[in-house]
Amino acid sequence: MFFHNFKYTLKSLFKNKSLIFWAYAFPIILCTFFNLAFSNIENSEKLNIIDIGIVENKYFQEDTVIKETFTKLSDKNNKDQLFNITYTSLEEVASLLNNDKITGYLILTEDSNKVVIKNNGINETILKYVTEEIFQTKELITNLATNTIKEEIQNGNYPIDYEKIYQGVFDIIQNQEVKINDISNKNLSYTMIEYYTLIAMSCLYGALLAFTAINRTLANMSHTGKRVSASPVKKWKLILSSLLASYVVQLIGITLLLLYTIFVIHVDYGTQILPIISLILLGSAAGLSLGVVISTAFKISENSKTGIVIGFTMLGVFLSGMMGITMKYIIDVNIPIVNILNPANMITDGFYALYYYTNTDRYFFNIISLAIFSFIMIIISSFLLRRQKYDSI
Amino acid sequence: MEKIIEVMNLTKKYKDLKAIDHLSFDVYKGEILGLLGPNGSGKSTTINCILSLLKFNEGNITIFGKEMTPDSYETKSKIGVVFQEVAVLEELTVYENIDYFCGLYIKDKTARKNYVNEAIHLVGLEDFKKFKPKQLSGGLLRRLNIACGVAHKPSLIFLDEPTVAVDPQSRNNILDGIKTLRDQGATIVYTTHYMEEVEILCDRIIIIDKGNIIAQGTKQELKDLTGIEEKVTVEIDNLEPNKIEDIKKLDNVKEVNYNNNTLLITYKNGKSNFGNLLHYLNKENLVYNKIYSERPTLNDVFLELTGKELRD
Repeated sequence: MFFHNFKYTLKSLFKNKSLIFWAYAFPIILCTFFNLAFSNIENSEKLNIIDIGIVENKYFQEDTVIKETFTKLSDKNNKDQLFNITYTSLEEVASLLNNDKITGYLILTEDSNKVVIKNNGINETILKYVTEEIFQTKELITNLATNTIKEEIQNGNYPIDYEKIYQGVFDIIQNQEVKINDISNKNLSYTMIEYYTLIAMSCLYGALLAFTAINRTLANMSHTGKRVSASPVKKWKLILSSLLASYVVQLIGITLLLLYTIFVIHVDYGTQILPIISLILLGSAAGLSLGVVISTAFKISENSKTGIVIGFTMLGVFLSGMMGITMKYIIDVNIPIVNILNPANMITDGFYALYYYTNTDRYFFNIISLAIFSFIMIIISSFLLRRQKYDSI
Repeated sequence: MEKIIEVMNLTKKYKDLKAIDHLSFDVYKGEILGLLGPNGSGKSTTINCILSLLKFNEGNITIFGKEMTPDSYETKSKIGVVFQEVAVLEELTVYENIDYFCGLYIKDKTARKNYVNEAIHLVGLEDFKKFKPKQLSGGLLRRLNIACGVAHKPSLIFLDEPTVAVDPQSRNNILDGIKTLRDQGATIVYTTHYMEEVEILCDRIIIIDKGNIIAQGTKQELKDLTGIEEKVTVEIDNLEPNKIEDIKKLDNVKEVNYNNNTLLITYKNGKSNFGNLLHYLNKENLVYNKIYSERPTLNDVFLELTGKELRD
C-alpha cells in the first residue's frame, strides 16, 4: 500500500500542471529574468571602488584590527580593492558626505564605533555590512582574550598562559583575514543573494506539493480524502508515502534549478557540495513540513492554501533579500528576530555563510534553525493529524 | 436473516442542531436498503457516522458483528463507498483512478487488473479508459465515481446519491450496475431523494426527515400506511360544483380536488373505482380531455406523514 500510494501520488503530482509551474517553471523563469535584469548592473557595479571617509582620531589610530583591515581593503595594489579611503577630520568627512563625495564615513569614539551614511543604496549597504562584520570580529577577539584571562585566573593558573591566548586570537585573526579577503570586490556579487533566495523559494514551494498530496488523504479536506479514509489503509502509511512522493518531486525541481543556474546562468556556489546538499535537503523538509501544517490547520479551498503558501514564501524571500541585499541588511540590523524566524532567510543565509565564510558557525546556526523550524511544524501537524474522526466533513 | 449493519440510537449534533436524532435500524445480508429523504434530512450524515468518518454524540454502530471504529481495517476492507460528491484524482486517467482506489484494497497486481477491467465493464466506460476526468461528461464522471468505489468487489456497499444530476442513459446504466452488484451478493445501502429509484431498486426503505425515521418497511408496507389505494386524474373543463359533490359520493372516494381544470380523486381502497368514475362521466355526458389512474407513490407516503413534498 505504501508504494502503491507513493507511485500514484508521484504520478498525480507530476501531472498537475499548476503545481509543476510553481515548483519547476516559476523559479527558472524568475532566475532567467534576474539574470537578464541584473547582469549588466553587476558588471558595471563591480568596477566601482567605494569612496569612504574615516575620522582620523586617536581611537582609530589605537585600534590595530580596524586600522589594518581597512588598510588592506583600500590597498591600491590589490586588484580586488573595495574602498578608496579619505582619512581626515570629522568636519571634513561630514562635508564630503554632504557633497556626495563619499558614500559614508566611519567614526570611532570611546564608547562606540559607527558608520554614518546619507542615503540607502548598494554602496551604503556594502559599507555597513563590511564594517559591521569587522566590528563583530574585533569584539569576538577582545572577548576571547578577556574571557581566557578570566578563566586562567579562576582556575588559579599563575602565571597566565599568554601563548595560548595569543594563539586563539591569532586563529581568529587568520579566519577574519580570509573572510575579509572574501568580502572583496571580486566576490561581493550583488546578485548571488538573488539566486540563494530563488533556491529558498524553491525549497519552500515544497509546501504546495505537500499540502496538495496531504489534502487528498484527509476526510475533512477533500472528497478523495473521504474515500481514502474509508479504505483499510493506515493513515500514517498514506501520509508518509504522500510526503515522500512530494519530497522526491520537489528535490527534482530544485536539482533542475541548480543545474540551470550552474550551467546556463553560470552561478558559482563554491566547492562545498555536501553542506549545500544538506542545506537543500533540510530547506525542502522545512517547506514540506510547512505545507503539512497549512494543509491540516486551515479548512479552506486548495486555491486559498496555494495563495497562503505563495504569499508566505514571497514575503519570506523578499525579506531575505530577493529584491536586493539591502532589505536583508535592514531586517538583520533592525528586526533580526524576523529573519531568525524566517525559513527563507535560514536557507538564503546558509548559502551566504557557505560562500562568504570559512567559519561554519553561521552555516550551522542556519542548519539548526531549519531543523528546529521543521521539527516544530512536524509537531504541530502530528497533533492536527491525530484526528481520525471529525466533527464535520 | 444475518444482520450486516446494526445502528442503535445514533445521535449526531452540529452545535445545537440535531442532524440525527436517536436513529436505529438494521441492514440485512443481500438486501438493498433505501434511505429516502429530502436534502438535509441526515442521510449522508448517517453514512459518514457509520463509516466512522464523523464523530457522533450517542449511539452504537456494528458492522459484520463488530463495533465500527476508524481502526477497523478488516471491516473497512469489505466495504465500498460511493460518495455523493465525485471523488477522483483529476490528473489520472479513468483506468488509473480505478486502479489507484482499488489498489488501496487489493495488493495483488494481476487480480487488481481483472477487478479494474470488470469495474470498467460494469459502468460501461470501456471506450473512456484513457480519458481524464475533465474530459468526461457529468454522467460518465458519476459512473467513474461508482467504479472507483466498487472495483474491489466489496460485500457491503454504500451508495450516497450516486445519480444526482446525471442524464437518463447514465442513470439507467448506474441502476443496472447496482442491480448487478446485488445479484453478485453485495449488501447495499442506497441513499437518494429520487423516490422512483428507490421504488425500482430497494427491497426495504427507510424514510428519514430531520434526522428521524418517520417510516420504514417494504414499498407496499409503506404505501399501506397512507390508506390510499388509487389516484385518478381527469382533465376536464368547467366542471360544475354540483358534479364535484356527486363524485365525492361515489364509492371509496377519500378526497376530491379540482384546480386549473384538473380533477384529482383519491380513493381509500376497493375495486372498480376507475370503472365507476367512467360510468358516472358518461352518464352525465361530461367531456374530458384526459383521464388516467395511478397507484400511490412514496411521495404520497411522505406527504401523508410529514405534510410536505419529498423534494421540497
